[in-house]
Amino acid sequence: MIQVELDVNGEREALALDGGQTLLDALRVRLGLTGTKLGCNQGVCGSCTVLIDGKPARSCLVLAVGCGGRKIVTIEGIADGAKPSVVQQAFIETGAVQCGYCTPGMILTAEALLRRHRRPSLDEIREALSGNLCRCSGYSKIVDAVKLASERMPV
Amino acid sequence: MTSLAYHQPDSLDRALTLLADTEGARCIAGGQTLVAMLNARLVEPPALVSLGRIAELGRIGRTAAGALRIGATVTHEAVADSENIGRDFPLIAQAARAIAHPPIRSFGTIGGAVAHGDPNADYPAALVASDAAIEIASRAGRRGVPAGEFFQDYLATALEPGDIVVAVVIPEPPPGARGLYLKFARVDGDYATLSVAAILAQRNGACEHIAVALGAAGPVPVRDRAAEAKLQGKRLSAAAIAEFGAALAARCDPVDDVRGSSAYRRGLVPGLVARALSGLGG
Repeated sequence: MIQVELDVNGEREALALDGGQTLLDALRVRLGLTGTKLGCNQGVCGSCTVLIDGKPARSCLVLAVGCGGRKIVTIEGIADGAKPSVVQQAFIETGAVQCGYCTPGMILTAEALLRRHRRPSLDEIREALSGNLCRCSGYSKIVDAVKLASERMPV
Repeated sequence: MTSLAYHQPDSLDRALTLLADTEGARCIAGGQTLVAMLNARLVEPPALVSLGRIAELGRIGRTAAGALRIGATVTHEAVADSENIGRDFPLIAQAARAIAHPPIRSFGTIGGAVAHGDPNADYPAALVASDAAIEIASRAGRRGVPAGEFFQDYLATALEPGDIVVAVVIPEPPPGARGLYLKFARVDGDYATLSVAAILAQRNGACEHIAVALGAAGPVPVRDRAAEAKLQGKRLSAAAIAEFGAALAARCDPVDDVRGSSAYRRGLVPGLVARALSGLGG
């Protein structure tokens, strides 16, 4: 076992982990943060997306023991207390959630995009979300939600 | 899950020692392929040696001869976003940008991509067309292997146990040359059904330099230097390009899979090669 201190949503968590344990597994099983979803476990579906140092990352493709000293943000960490984030609020208003399984990954991917680029074009939104699959195929409203969120982001 | 040791050395020497100390130990950089393989139990190494803290592997620079030297742990995102690479080595920048999705590009590395040796990936064909060399470190010293010899078979490379890819070195294209990476895929972010990496320089309507390598066309990137030589000094007529495409297609040995049958992929070759050369003014 390897000792690692993870910085998740601004809280420091000391954990003893196996070298092969993914960040996804550490988040869900060790820290109980089950908002991050396990989908394909091979980096294809995007449902496990979190932010690592502000960048969207597949938590299923990152080993937790390599995350010491990096800032991790999950879906549990983006609201301001009970107030949804701009992106979360836009998903609610647009009806961009169907079964909800892909939603945390979609929202984290959109957060990363809008932090870097406040006014993306529709094509840029689609490209940023291209690695996140929605098996309900509700893509139109998800793109609408990100567009709405981008219009509300302070410049 | 069996226990897996994880080392994070901060020097290349230490990494080489750790790799030699444990039989079957593997290097890990961005992990975007290796962790997926660990998750699927396709590989079960006893130890991983992370290259992430070795500063010299993370640099992009130029050699004294003007070649581009990209350290092994440089991410696809960094290559795709580099203005210098986009201007002077557009084929390399375009190949980096064609890899998977943004979250994969922000962690996956060029060293990992070449060490994996997947002919369906985007870098191998681009590096073969660019006459790049793979710089490898071992406890015996450093050596450079031309990309055309480095990729030996499906997922098989010139790497020996204990070797670490430290950099990829790409010579400056000839004066006036342009490069293009054309990826034909079912959807954005998928592996290529077929890809064409091309560099072309022309003067007064005649071909001065041509290099074309195909990805997803066989167990290694496919290039036909004899067919390229036949085009030197010639005008790239439609007939000459068609003959060149047919020669390349004859050298392909693609697999049948969900992305397309072997015959379909081979059938794509002449058209996509012509499209790539046309995009370069040929």
